[in-house]
Amino acid sequence: MTEREPTVIARTITRVVVPLILVTAIALLLQGHNQPGGGFIAGVLTVTAFALTYIIYGLDYIRTELLDQQVPATGAVESTLVRDLGPVFGVGLLIAAAGGLVAIGLGFPFLTQAVLFIEHVPLYEELELAGALVFDLGVYLVVVGALLTILAVVGLE
Amino acid sequence: MTTTAAQQVVIAPMLVALVVAIATLLSRRSKRTQRALSLVGGGAYASAVVLLARRVRADGAAVYQLSDWPAPFGITLVADELAVFMLGLTAIVAFAAVAFAVFYVDSVGQRVSFHPLYHFMLVGVTGSFLTGDIFNLFVWFEVMLMPSYVFVAFYGRRQETMAALRYVVLNLVGSAVMLVAIGGLYATTGTLNMADMARRLANAGAYGIDPGPVLGLAGLLFVVFALKAGIVPFQFWVPGAYRAAPAPVAAVLAGVMKKVGIYAIIRLYFTVFAAATVPPGAPLLTGESFLAFFGPVLLVMAAASIVLGGVAAVNQPDLDSVLGYSSIGQAGFIILPLALAAGAEGPLRVLGVTAALVYALNHAVAKGLLFLVSGAVYDGVGSIKFEDLGGLTGRAPFLSGAFLLGGLALVGIPPLSGFFGKLLVFDTAGQSLTAGLGGGPALAVALGGAVLTIVYVSRTWNRGFWGETSKAVDTARNPRALVVVVTGLALVLVAIGVGFDPVYRAAQAGAAAAVDTGGYVDLVDPTTASEALADGGNESAGSETAETVRGLLGVGR
Amino acid sequence: MTQVVLAVVLGLLFAVGTFLILRRDVVRVVWGVAIIGQAANLYLVTMGGLSGAAPVLAHGASADVTDPLVQALVLTAIVIGFGTTAFALVLTFRVYQTRGTIDLSDDPDPEGVVADGGAEPEGDAGGAPAPPEGADGGDSA
Repeated sequence: MTEREPTVIARTITRVVVPLILVTAIALLLQGHNQPGGGFIAGVLTVTAFALTYIIYGLDYIRTELLDQQVPATGAVESTLVRDLGPVFGVGLLIAAAGGLVAIGLGFPFLTQAVLFIEHVPLYEELELAGALVFDLGVYLVVVGALLTILAVVGLE
Repeated sequence: MTTTAAQQVVIAPMLVALVVAIATLLSRRSKRTQRALSLVGGGAYASAVVLLARRVRADGAAVYQLSDWPAPFGITLVADELAVFMLGLTAIVAFAAVAFAVFYVDSVGQRVSFHPLYHFMLVGVTGSFLTGDIFNLFVWFEVMLMPSYVFVAFYGRRQETMAALRYVVLNLVGSAVMLVAIGGLYATTGTLNMADMARRLANAGAYGIDPGPVLGLAGLLFVVFALKAGIVPFQFWVPGAYRAAPAPVAAVLAGVMKKVGIYAIIRLYFTVFAAATVPPGAPLLTGESFLAFFGPVLLVMAAASIVLGGVAAVNQPDLDSVLGYSSIGQAGFIILPLALAAGAEGPLRVLGVTAALVYALNHAVAKGLLFLVSGAVYDGVGSIKFEDLGGLTGRAPFLSGAFLLGGLALVGIPPLSGFFGKLLVFDTAGQSLTAGLGGGPALAVALGGAVLTIVYVSRTWNRGFWGETSKAVDTARNPRALVVVVTGLALVLVAIGVGFDPVYRAAQAGAAAAVDTGGYVDLVDPTTASEALADGGNESAGSETAETVRGLLGVGR
Repeated sequence: MTQVVLAVVLGLLFAVGTFLILRRDVVRVVWGVAIIGQAANLYLVTMGGLSGAAPVLAHGASADVTDPLVQALVLTAIVIGFGTTAFALVLTFRVYQTRGTIDLSDDPDPEGVVADGGAEPEGDAGGAPAPPEGADGGDSA
């Protein structure tokens, strides 16, 4: 993929757009429990940002510049990335399931959610803590883990 | 409302499977730990099912409202006698298969996440049996199917890949059809909760439901369940998929996942749609229950399955193909009494469903056993083609004995459970005949099918196990651990037949629960919450508000 | 009017999907399945009624909302469809790898079926490298 260098326009736009995408993704993740958004769509957006960087700058850039890792010989790159990504998926599932299991521990049915409003927080005035956020976070990690794995595997092919 | 431990038991099997799936996923670095976790998890799953079964037997059926949303707004889990019977069948086969898999699946297979996928499949199966919500049923179907797609493509060779493609495409189309049917049912009945749907259908006029479209949509849904159950004319994916999947998974596919389709037919058509009546003006059977409408359809499909599966199984080149085609025929045997029950009323209907449940249990354990034997033979000999086999009885007496037991259970030799299954099927057909409900053709088909079963079982036995010892068999190694697992399952099969009385009573309770629409509605009790919401007033305005709020609550799904 | 347009669009989508599924080209078949899946999703949205209002009910607002349940259902169905389509595409790639063609009816090497589809342990050990990390990721989404 180093045969054809992407244009300056593409590189510059990517630099501007990727942070925007990531911020939007986080916003969607945080408001997902009572407004449009949620873990799935936030995860998909995050992966979009990674995919864009991957296409424009290549995988080595992600590894050396963003993840601060050594680049092994070509070919082994993707497979180690796949191995690194494996746990993200599992941990996401674990968080989602654990969020539901906490409710059982407290004597409620599985996945029962609660909302807590914290008043008089500086800057925000009122902060909403929702139990559903834990589930969303789990879903977010599952989606990011799964999609990045697919991306890495398909990229290898 | 807090929930006691006794109530939490309802969700226990599903949670155990889920936790085990996650644990095996996270322990993939250490193959040994993963295997141990998987095996212990299989045992824990079986224990959870036993706990749930004891609770249901002691205190009757139980309902669980996920997230504490009252029915019909939230997702309801219903553990009644029918669901528990199916879970018991699942636990037996699933535990045996996972114990088998621990020794059977090599490290390459483990790298492909065999164990996590296996337990995710169990989560899906358990959810399908427990759920009381029709869209949730769709979700669990998908959870169950996705790992099975990977399993069919597991070995990734040419034939397996093609079988997987066929399987995946077919099931994706099935899913789309199911979605269409569910959407239509929601639009016409205004609910997705099964109990609520049964309640509204029983009083269709009062809720402004036109039964015509509901009948059509029920037919559409039926196609999907028939596809899952693998009965004619939706059977063509069956042999290829079973042949392609690893042996322990083939045991679960044939033993358990096929039964999910059959369970869905029993649950939705005998419990939910039985409440509705065919609208005037429809061809045939106007004014009768939906169930009576589906009876003849089921009968034709069952008869075709028995004949096609039986005939095709007689002359196949390898063990798995025989078992695959035999599964089609045996599914026909399960559907046959259901077809007769659909056209009958009262005790005869209960008898028919009981026969189907007993037969389903027998087929699950026997066919699971046979697929495991086939896997053990493959592991030892390196082939399951009849041209390479021969003389296994001398080399592997336990394996051959287990195969013989499984085969005899399919044929229906006392005291194995297959005998009671066949007996009940014939009893249903006979009583249907004397009651003038047209059990004659069913009786003839069942007799023919029984003969065909004898033919293909004995032929398989002759070609694969008796005769001169072939070269491949002579040099075969002895997979000792696999033989132990197989022998254990064979003993369970014998135990089910010898101690048949409690099994029969469990099946009867399951059948009684299946046909008791009123009991199911009362159990789930969707009325209290919806009436509180509708707050009296005129019906249409009330239900519109209810719709709105239900939708809002539904966001939590 | 909206209803008529949607009905026509739905009909067209199902027709195109069915047409593609009946092709010999595996990639087209997978497209066809994806289109049918999307058509089912679109159909599901219309089942909530087409009032044209927003599906979210603000605090204390009037009852003029679109039924949001179907939208929640469709979200679920889209996620599931996404995962299965990804898997089907991986599978298509495998079909191409093992057969050397994506044409379903035309097998350039019919003998190969016997050679590698059989149950010989050698074929097993030397079997193609498993695709799998992608496959097991695909099932999860």
